[in-house]
Amino acid sequence: MSDVKTAPDWLTADVLDYLHRVAYDFHVRAFGEEMARVNFLPLAERRRYVAEMIDHALRKGVKFDKPALGVTP
Amino acid sequence: MPLSYAELEQFYEGLVSRARSRGITCAITSGMACVAFGVAQATKDCDLLCVPDAAGDFFKLLGEADLGGQMPSYRGHLTAPLDSRWLRGGWTSHFVWDTPGVEAYLDIFGVAPRGSSPWEAELQGFYAGPHIVAEMKRTNREKDWPFATALGVKLLETGDPRGWLHLFNYDVLVQTARKLCCPAAMVALRPALALLIEADERLEFALKGEIEFWNRLDRLRLEVYGRAVRPYMLAVKADHRSSAPSLAGQHQARLEHAEQLLPVSPLRQYGIQRLIDEAQAQAARFLPPGALRWLPDAGKCFNLLAE
Repeated sequence: MSDVKTAPDWLTADVLDYLHRVAYDFHVRAFGEEMARVNFLPLAERRRYVAEMIDHALRKGVKFDKPALGVTP
Repeated sequence: MPLSYAELEQFYEGLVSRARSRGITCAITSGMACVAFGVAQATKDCDLLCVPDAAGDFFKLLGEADLGGQMPSYRGHLTAPLDSRWLRGGWTSHFVWDTPGVEAYLDIFGVAPRGSSPWEAELQGFYAGPHIVAEMKRTNREKDWPFATALGVKLLETGDPRGWLHLFNYDVLVQTARKLCCPAAMVALRPALALLIEADERLEFALKGEIEFWNRLDRLRLEVYGRAVRPYMLAVKADHRSSAPSLAGQHQARLEHAEQLLPVSPLRQYGIQRLIDEAQAQAARFLPPGALRWLPDAGKCFNLLAE
């Protein structure tokens, strides 16, 4: 497992807050408002949302399996 | 009652725990790792990295891994045998647990595609680290690129400057540079970042060049494997033992054919530099002149493949 590291000097609270906003805006543009909201949920809630989304899609007949090509894209 | 996704996830994590308790280094990567790192992706397959030396031990574990009373099988005729030789060469072994209500897919590989450093050096819980997962996202699939950028920001948020290597969105790069200095070490690894520092408007060209290059490189890589696997695939398809009821029987048939017909490391055989040169030549046809001037050293992303 990776060691616990101390934050570098450049990672101030101000920088972190700024990066958070940049990330959120990008998630909205790239994945849409709903998925951006999900991506910023705490891990347990995010996993629960994804699980419900996949289970719902499966019930509706969506296929998730990828072709077995012998190599990973 | 069909198995829910949450139960499947628990099953895969349990498999990783059991493997690790036996001294096998392995980690979940790709879509499931993305969910953990805050970039949700709807995937039901589990991509698993396993150190090639432990392939035999992992195969033994699979032979004991029932899911809803069902044991796993090899999936398809293209899948390489789970054996250290082929894992080192970049092949993937595909498995499925397939019974009514239970359908689980597990893809095992030993070398992270485009991984420039050993993935086993930076695990995060059940998962490969976000830097490795982001490198894997430089594919020929357009949908993967926003994931790379999102993981890049995530790395910066955790204080890891390698996040700069994964920002492929122009706006995110420019916005990030307003608040943070890009370290020289990252510019050395990714020359396009020099344009960001110099506020050179050619940055947008350079980003298009990078993405088109990685896209072509991945496509060519898959073509090399696709050609290499064909004689083996035909032999496996014609051999009834490859669909034997027992996983051991399926494995033995695949192993015998692989030893005769499946090159261990087709990319090495083909030539990494040749692959890179061809990807550049192809990308150049779709880009304005000069857009490929700032490409990184992609050869590093193949260093971990077997000779």
